[in-house]
Amino acid sequence: MTGRLPHYRYLLLGAFAVAGVIFVISPLAIVVLNSFSSVAYNVFPPEGYSVRWYENLAQQSAFYLAAVRSVLLALSATVVSLVIGTLAAYSIVRYRPRWSDLIKGFLLSPIVLPNIVLGVAVFMFFIRTGLYGTYFSLVVTHVVVVLPLVIAVLTAALANYDWTLQEAAMDLGAGPIRTFLRVTMPQISISMIISGVFAFITSFDQVETTLFLVRPGANTLPIEMFLYLQKWQDPTIAALSTVLIVFAFLIVSVLSLAMRNRGLPLAVLRQDKEKSE
Amino acid sequence: MTDLSAIPAAAASKPAIAPAKEPFSRRMMPWLLLAPVFAVMAFAFVAPLLVFLEYSFWRFEYGKLIEDFTFDTYVEFLTDPYFHTIVYDTLKMALITTLCSVAVGYPLAYALWRITRPGLQKWFGLIIFSPILVSVVVRSYGWTVLLADQGPVNWFLQVVLHLPEPVRLVFNLTGVVISLTHVFLPFVVFPIYSTMTRLDPTLREAAMDLGAGWWTTFRRVTFPLTLPGLLAGAQISFTLALGAFVTPQLLGGGRVLVLPLQVFQATTDINWPLAAVGGIALLVLAMITVAVSNRLLRYSEV
Repeated sequence: MTGRLPHYRYLLLGAFAVAGVIFVISPLAIVVLNSFSSVAYNVFPPEGYSVRWYENLAQQSAFYLAAVRSVLLALSATVVSLVIGTLAAYSIVRYRPRWSDLIKGFLLSPIVLPNIVLGVAVFMFFIRTGLYGTYFSLVVTHVVVVLPLVIAVLTAALANYDWTLQEAAMDLGAGPIRTFLRVTMPQISISMIISGVFAFITSFDQVETTLFLVRPGANTLPIEMFLYLQKWQDPTIAALSTVLIVFAFLIVSVLSLAMRNRGLPLAVLRQDKEKSE
Repeated sequence: MTDLSAIPAAAASKPAIAPAKEPFSRRMMPWLLLAPVFAVMAFAFVAPLLVFLEYSFWRFEYGKLIEDFTFDTYVEFLTDPYFHTIVYDTLKMALITTLCSVAVGYPLAYALWRITRPGLQKWFGLIIFSPILVSVVVRSYGWTVLLADQGPVNWFLQVVLHLPEPVRLVFNLTGVVISLTHVFLPFVVFPIYSTMTRLDPTLREAAMDLGAGWWTTFRRVTFPLTLPGLLAGAQISFTLALGAFVTPQLLGGGRVLVLPLQVFQATTDINWPLAAVGGIALLVLAMITVAVSNRLLRYSEV
C-alpha cells in the first residue's frame, strides 16, 4: 500500500522523522560533547578537548554516595510497590470485590496529583508526626509515587490472563501460593518486569517529592545534581550526565536484547492501555 | 509451602464454583490482599493531603505559623493580582507546551506507524522512547547548553543563517517550552501511536478505493479515528506541564514563575498556608483538566 504513496509526501514524513530523532537526541548528545570540553564555560564549537571534568567528577565523593543512596532507595521502592501492587491487582481482578472500580480509581489517583504537591504534603505530614528525615518516610513516599504505575500495568496484565489455568492448578492440588508463583506469575512476568523497570526509573529520577524529604548531606543523585546546577554550570555535571546516559543506553540494550523475540516492548504496554480504557 | 497447607486451601476454593455461601475467610481474602496498599495510601497519601488541607486554613504572621481556621489565605490568593499572574503564566506555559508536544508528537507517531520495515521501526521507537530513561535534570541541563547564547543552536543561527546577534532561547518561556516538549514527547507519541495501530486498515483502503485522495482519507478517516489518542496525549502533556518543577526552575532563569515554583518558594519561606493554597489551586487545575479532557474523549469516541 505504501508503494502507492507519492514520493514527496514520503520524503516529507522521512524528513520529519529525522528531524524528530535529532530533536530527541541533541540535548543528550550535547551533554556528552560538552563533558569533554577543556573550558569551564559553555561554548560551541568547543575550544578544546580534555578529560579534566571526569577527573574532577572522580574526586567528588558526594556524587558517589548520592548515587548509592538513589539506587538503594529506588530498589526498595520498586520491590515494595511490586509486592503490594501485585497483591492489590490480583485482588481487584480475581475477586472483583465490591466497589472494585472505585478502589482502582483511588489507587490510581496519585497520577493526577502534581508531584510537588505530594512532596510538600508529605513533608508537612512527616514534620508533624516526627518522621521527618527517616529512611522510612522516603521509601513510603516513593512507593506512593510508583504504585499507580505498577497497579495500572498489572491489573491490565491480569485481565488478559486465562484464569482457567489457575483453576486447573488448584484442582490438581496446588496451594494458592504455589499456584500463584508457578502458574500465574510466569504469565504476567513481562508486565512485572516492565512495571518494575518503570518504577525503578521513576523513583530514581524523583526530584519534586524527594527534595523536601532528604536531610542535608543525605541527598539522592538527582537532588545533588539539581542543587549543583543551581550553583555552578561547569561540565562536571556533563561528565556525570554522560555516565548516566551510558547506563541508560546499557539498560535499553539489555532490554531490547531480552525482548528481541517479542517485538517492541511497547506492545505489552499497548495491550494494557487498551484494557484500561 | 507444603502439601499439608495445600489441601485445605484447595478445598476452600471449591465453593467458588458452586454458588453457595462462601466461608468467611474467603470473603475476607480480597480485602486482606488489598490491606497493605490501603495502609500505604492512607499513611502517605490521604493523611498528608488532609494535613495539607488543614494548613491552608492556618495563618502566617511575622514568620510564624498560627493555628487557626480562616479563609484569609484563600481570599488573598484569589484577589491578589500577583497570584493571578502566576496562575495565568502556569496555564499559558501548559497550553503552549501541549500544543507544541502534539504538533511534534502526532507526525512522529504517524511516522512510527507508517514505517513498514520492522528493524527500522524498532530503532525509531527506541530512540523516541529512550529519553524516559534519562533524568529530567540531565535533559534540562542539556537544553540549557544547547540553547545558550554561545550554544550550538545560536552558533547555527549566526554562522549558517547569518543572524546579527544571538537569539535569547534560554532562561525565558521559550526555553522552558522547548525543554518540556522534549520531556513529554514519549508520553504524547505513545497514546497516539497506540490508537493508530488499533485502526482498522480496511477503513483507509475503502476510502482510497472510493476515490478519496491521501489528504481526504487522512482528514475524514485517519485523523478523526486517532483523535482519542491525540486528546489523551494532550491531557497527559497538559497535566504534567501544570506540575512541572525542575524544568521551569533550571531553564526559566527566575523569569518563569509558575505555580509549582510558587509552592516550593512558599514552603521554604515557612509560609505553609500559602504553599497549601497554591498546591490546592494546582490540584484543582489538574482535576479540571482531567474532567474536561475525559468529557472531550467521550465525545471524540462516539
